[in-house]
Amino acid sequence: MLRFVGRRALYAIPLLLAIIILMFSMLHMIPGDPVQALVGDYPVPPAYRQVIEEKYRLNDPFLVQVGNYLLNVAQGDFGFSYQNQRGVLDLILERAPRTILLASVSFALAIPLGMAIGIAAGTTRRPGVDKFWTTTALIAYAIPTFWLGQLLVMLFALRLGWFPTQGIGPLISRTHGIAWLFEKLRYLALPVLAFGIHEGMRIARIMRASVIDTLSQGYIITARSKGLSRGQIIRSHVLRNSSLPLVTIAGYAFGSALGGAVLLETVFTWPGLGLLLVDSIRLRDNMTVVGVVIFSAVAVVAMNLIVDLLYAALDPRIRTMR
Amino acid sequence: MDTAKRNDAWTMHRLGVISLFAGASSLLLSAGAQADDGKPVPGGTVIAALNSTTIPNLNTQMTSSVPALFAADVWADGLMTYDREANRVPRLAKSWTISEDGKTYTFNLREGVKWSDGKPFSAADVVFTLENFGKFNTYLTKLMPLVEKASAPDDKTFLLTLKQPLTATLDLFDKEVFPLMPKHIYEGKDIATHPANIAPVGLGPFKFDKWVSGQSITFVRNPHYWEAPKPYLDSVIFALIPNPQQRLNAIVNGEVNWFRPEVVQVPATQQAAKRGSFRVVPIVTNAPETAVIDFNLRRSPMNNVKVRQALFHAIDRQRIVRDVYQGLAETAKNAIPTQFKNLHDTSVNYDTMYAYDPKRAAQLLDEAGFPLKDGKRFALELAVISAAPYDAVAQVVQAQWTALGIDVKLSALDQQIWTNKVYTQHDFDASIISLTGRSNPVLGVDRSFVCNETSVPYANPTSYCNPEFDKVAANAASAPADQQKAHYKTYAEIIARDLNQLALTNSRVFEAVTNNFKNLDAQFNFSFNTHPNWAEAWLPKDKQ
Repeated sequence: MLRFVGRRALYAIPLLLAIIILMFSMLHMIPGDPVQALVGDYPVPPAYRQVIEEKYRLNDPFLVQVGNYLLNVAQGDFGFSYQNQRGVLDLILERAPRTILLASVSFALAIPLGMAIGIAAGTTRRPGVDKFWTTTALIAYAIPTFWLGQLLVMLFALRLGWFPTQGIGPLISRTHGIAWLFEKLRYLALPVLAFGIHEGMRIARIMRASVIDTLSQGYIITARSKGLSRGQIIRSHVLRNSSLPLVTIAGYAFGSALGGAVLLETVFTWPGLGLLLVDSIRLRDNMTVVGVVIFSAVAVVAMNLIVDLLYAALDPRIRTMR
Repeated sequence: MDTAKRNDAWTMHRLGVISLFAGASSLLLSAGAQADDGKPVPGGTVIAALNSTTIPNLNTQMTSSVPALFAADVWADGLMTYDREANRVPRLAKSWTISEDGKTYTFNLREGVKWSDGKPFSAADVVFTLENFGKFNTYLTKLMPLVEKASAPDDKTFLLTLKQPLTATLDLFDKEVFPLMPKHIYEGKDIATHPANIAPVGLGPFKFDKWVSGQSITFVRNPHYWEAPKPYLDSVIFALIPNPQQRLNAIVNGEVNWFRPEVVQVPATQQAAKRGSFRVVPIVTNAPETAVIDFNLRRSPMNNVKVRQALFHAIDRQRIVRDVYQGLAETAKNAIPTQFKNLHDTSVNYDTMYAYDPKRAAQLLDEAGFPLKDGKRFALELAVISAAPYDAVAQVVQAQWTALGIDVKLSALDQQIWTNKVYTQHDFDASIISLTGRSNPVLGVDRSFVCNETSVPYANPTSYCNPEFDKVAANAASAPADQQKAHYKTYAEIIARDLNQLALTNSRVFEAVTNNFKNLDAQFNFSFNTHPNWAEAWLPKDKQ
């Protein structure tokens, strides 16, 4: 088991190397001037340009920049964000928990929601019910999260006034304890709803297909012929066997979400990694861009590893294959 | 907020969206004046929305970025500023005198002033700021080479001697252009990357407290502020909200107390304000905000003045005012914006010189050797930043030039890519941008026309390099105040003739603020520094 995890971690090293080199190459090719971004829409005084370029070694040759970066990363130094005036790792560690919170709560909503709809649609004997859920899931999945987010803001924040329109928490708070938690949750509600519905519908579609596939398996027919009730069959046989593809899809989607849900974070001014990435690209804060992408890649690799481990836990056949 | 208000807010939000995209009709301005109904009381917090989640530097000696300028009004101060009508008023300089030859400036400073960390402020700080930050300050590039000596003969006197006169000098000591910096913090340190640039020590009414990455920056009352008992508020929190629609949503929902609407969203904000708990305040005199078209004179046919004149005649600028700015702008009259009342000469008027006249435009193009052939005359690329209002202005211009038989390729780009394409690569035919003019032509207007041989971004990208004009601009800047207007008339005439840049519109500026704040109008006396520093504002006890 440990060897398996260790081997997978080793596989990640060439992947990360490739990502770093690719990101540096792309950022090198895109026109941009970080010093101009610091000054704004006025000419940069030559003395200021010289000081900043020297300080952050912006004029080093491409290969020197990549080489230095790789050496620094190997020592745990992810560079300095000149647009935030602090270390990139420090910045990511501050922003990541916000993104992780948003992604975790959204998936905590999406997984049971998606599974329930998927099972309801996949196991029903009435074609109308299946059609209803399939169509609903398709439409809800097709709505872009940023648009759904805006609709939710218009209805629940501006019209009904139940939730704030944006942000991660109140800027002035006089509450403590449970009241404080409740206040924080109000800020989480709309982005989670938008994200959760979107991901939930993706899961529902996978789950339905998987449930239908499972229901056609021989062991289900055996279970039926043994006289087990529909509920018993779903609980004991369908649920677990249908969950395998779900684990793959949800695990991958969750891993990607940890890298920052760019559009959603933008719509709700949720200052996580997604918003940081957008800002850093706009301001040509290349160290931060590379740092966020590395974090995102690590999150996907880690989630894929967890998915594999979960697979083994769920399916004894995979365990024996290793 | 009760249900009726919410319904209205929701409707207004929809209206806002509709007007943003479809260009709704212009609306009456909601007046800003409100009576002060009592004595100021201390306490309370204001939440003001800034338009970015990332602000690299709060020190406005080194940045001209808008959110940093808004924040600087809270924590920084300077020698002088302007009133509502753009007259100069003293701040930390009680008074100043200028020698007869225009070369020596003597500023008499206030006594007993302290920095926000409690250390005393003196003339040595002013000298230090000029000597150490001047070379990093984009607005001072014209002044610094002219400085003969800056000195502090005593703690309360700042003396500046120039090699030759520069009449704009006083405007360069405005608190926004030249915020004062503490010598005791920066001396002997690396100034450009000093931590105080993001956790500043200043002379403003509030002092820096904390910065939550991507979310907010908090300033609290400066106990050492020189205008005691001001400020009345306990703190100012800047909420970092990059999207303009979200800033409007936030004020409608009561999450923030102040924001500056983009000009295209002003009608929607005014609509929402009608039944909301905030109002929209028009700024009496704002810095010039001029939408312009730069031509690349390196390329044919842009190097043909008749073509440039024809292209100006072909633009219906009233339509840009109406459709893009929804009536909240005026057509630009000449190269010197009308805000510079003492320098703008009304005899040079683009409205009459280059009135919308497609027939005249066609005739000029025929004369220039570009007659219609198979419905086309020539092709050009119009580069623009893909953001409001530039993209909308570009679409109107594209439609009108296309009607003349020009094949217009519109390139709407990311700002950094646009900057590189226009200013560094010179890979464009025409380009649209909106330029801020600040308080003197030296600060923001000259850069469009003066020769820019080193291709510095956000300065003249057209390759227009006219020694005759450069001499006029230099003379205009150094002429005695009572003679400047004649020079600036010649300045405007040369540009009206050569047209390396077309000035389209000059737009107005508005701010939205919640009604519960008192004495806020006093905040808008800053003319060019239109954003409040909140020193005068207060909240009644029952609203805190």
